[in-house]
Amino acid sequence: MKAGKIGLYGLLTMAALTALLPLAWILSGSLQTLPELLSNERFLPADPQWGNYVTAWVDGDLGVYLRNSVLYTGTAVLGILVASSLAGYALARLEFAGKGLFTFVILAVMIIPAPAMFLAQYKLLVSLGLSNSPVGYVLILITSGVPMSTLIMRSFFVSQPRELEEAAAIEGAGPLRIFASVILPLARPGLAAVAVIQGLGAWNEYLMALVIFDDNALMPIQRGLTAFTSAETPQQQILLAATAISVVPVIVFYLMAQRHIVQGIGAGAIK
Amino acid sequence: MTTLPVRPRSAKRALRRSLLGWAFLAPAVALIALFTITPFVQAILLSFQSWDGVSPDAPWVGLANYEFIAGDQTFWASMRNVLVFGAVGFVAGNGIALAMAVAVNAITRGRTFFRTVFYLPGVLSVVVVGLLFSSILAPGSGVLNRALELVGLGALQQNWLGDPDVALPAVAAVFVWFHWGFGFLLFLAGLQDVPKELYEAASLDGAGRWARFRSITWPHLAPVTSIVSLLTLLAALQIFGTVQVLTNGGPGYHTMVPTLAIYNEAFVNWRYGSAAAMSVVFGGALVLLSLLQLAFTGRRWHP
Repeated sequence: MKAGKIGLYGLLTMAALTALLPLAWILSGSLQTLPELLSNERFLPADPQWGNYVTAWVDGDLGVYLRNSVLYTGTAVLGILVASSLAGYALARLEFAGKGLFTFVILAVMIIPAPAMFLAQYKLLVSLGLSNSPVGYVLILITSGVPMSTLIMRSFFVSQPRELEEAAAIEGAGPLRIFASVILPLARPGLAAVAVIQGLGAWNEYLMALVIFDDNALMPIQRGLTAFTSAETPQQQILLAATAISVVPVIVFYLMAQRHIVQGIGAGAIK
Repeated sequence: MTTLPVRPRSAKRALRRSLLGWAFLAPAVALIALFTITPFVQAILLSFQSWDGVSPDAPWVGLANYEFIAGDQTFWASMRNVLVFGAVGFVAGNGIALAMAVAVNAITRGRTFFRTVFYLPGVLSVVVVGLLFSSILAPGSGVLNRALELVGLGALQQNWLGDPDVALPAVAAVFVWFHWGFGFLLFLAGLQDVPKELYEAASLDGAGRWARFRSITWPHLAPVTSIVSLLTLLAALQIFGTVQVLTNGGPGYHTMVPTLAIYNEAFVNWRYGSAAAMSVVFGGALVLLSLLQLAFTGRRWHP
């Protein structure tokens, strides 16, 4: 029994190291000099080169890309929350003709994979004059997040008691009023789960960013990183520093919102 | 004659209720109709047209695009390669995820720590994973080769991303590293829902560890297993960014995948029509897979 426990922890520790060591390499590699990096001798920098981070930040225009990503992610999450909480509430609480049809469409849409869509989405944005445009990009981000978020919000609303809404209705409040002042404040845990999952997804989105943006000043961070790689061919330690900078916000966010993320992933996949 | 006036009023009320419902759905409906359903239909139409990406005209060419891609070696190589990604992701990814979920579920101290660490790679972007492993798997000075040398396994050193025989398994391994935490989280949640009493009862009956897994854990996990399998498989089949950054499909076509082939056909070769035909063929296969899985498991969606 004792030996079994030790073996179990040994296995888990090995798996943890496999997950962590590549990440540790971003940090270590980004602090080395190029000769150090190319020599076969050591894994850790002899004298940490913090200047690599300054070079990466300046040469890679990371400030611009990060600001764009914050803007796109924030707007997309807000849009997803509005559209999916309204739709989720209607599915959970309102009785009306065509509800089943809408649910079917949402499920059908979730089955259509990105590779079947991105080309035509690009063509559509071109015809709407929204290619190479933040508005076009954010609208695509919102649309791709809505179906799953609607189902999460729906199951959240279903699990809530009806009494407060009924009381508000008896007092004569209209449906929108009830939604805004009674429902939404109570829905905070559901909204949080949707926000963290969709926020991560929007921050990490790459395919549409690659297809939509030509203008470096508009690119989000993921697209900016590959633009940096191909246009400037930076030295490896600088590229690792840029990668590290792009990862910091995500890891901090993950460690802070971990519980919500774990719950949100469960809700998104199972619900 | 008291029922007559009630009728129009209730019809009116039903109409008002419907309008209210659709008003709540309006933003979602508008977005999905414009940015999902329209492009979905357009993609199919585009596959029968010729378009260079800029000109306003896209003439009809019938089945020419499909005839073209039928003979396109890159595309079919990508379809074969992605089956390897699918198989490796499915077997190795799900296997590791399940094993680690069982292991974490069996301990008491350090659960949160291991759960946090195991999902950590999953929050990275495909670009970050690609850049990171480009550096780790670099020939010569790459950290993996150095580490192998250090522990006396220098004979295992490879040109991981440049050797045609090694590149595909290497990229597939990166995918597994990146993705197994997702299945792990879902399996772990599933395990925690299995009633503890069942295990206690089985232990009293003298059931061993493996017998308990077979007769209690595995059946309880069936719904989770089926959804995790599908989602992992779909993610593996749609792999794009990681491959683009790591190898860009090379060496030759040895790590080419369909989404990258579609992207290149459109945005590098400027042949949007044949790219659309590829996306119809590949996207159609993915849709079919999802439908088959749903039918096979008889999974019920509860609206």
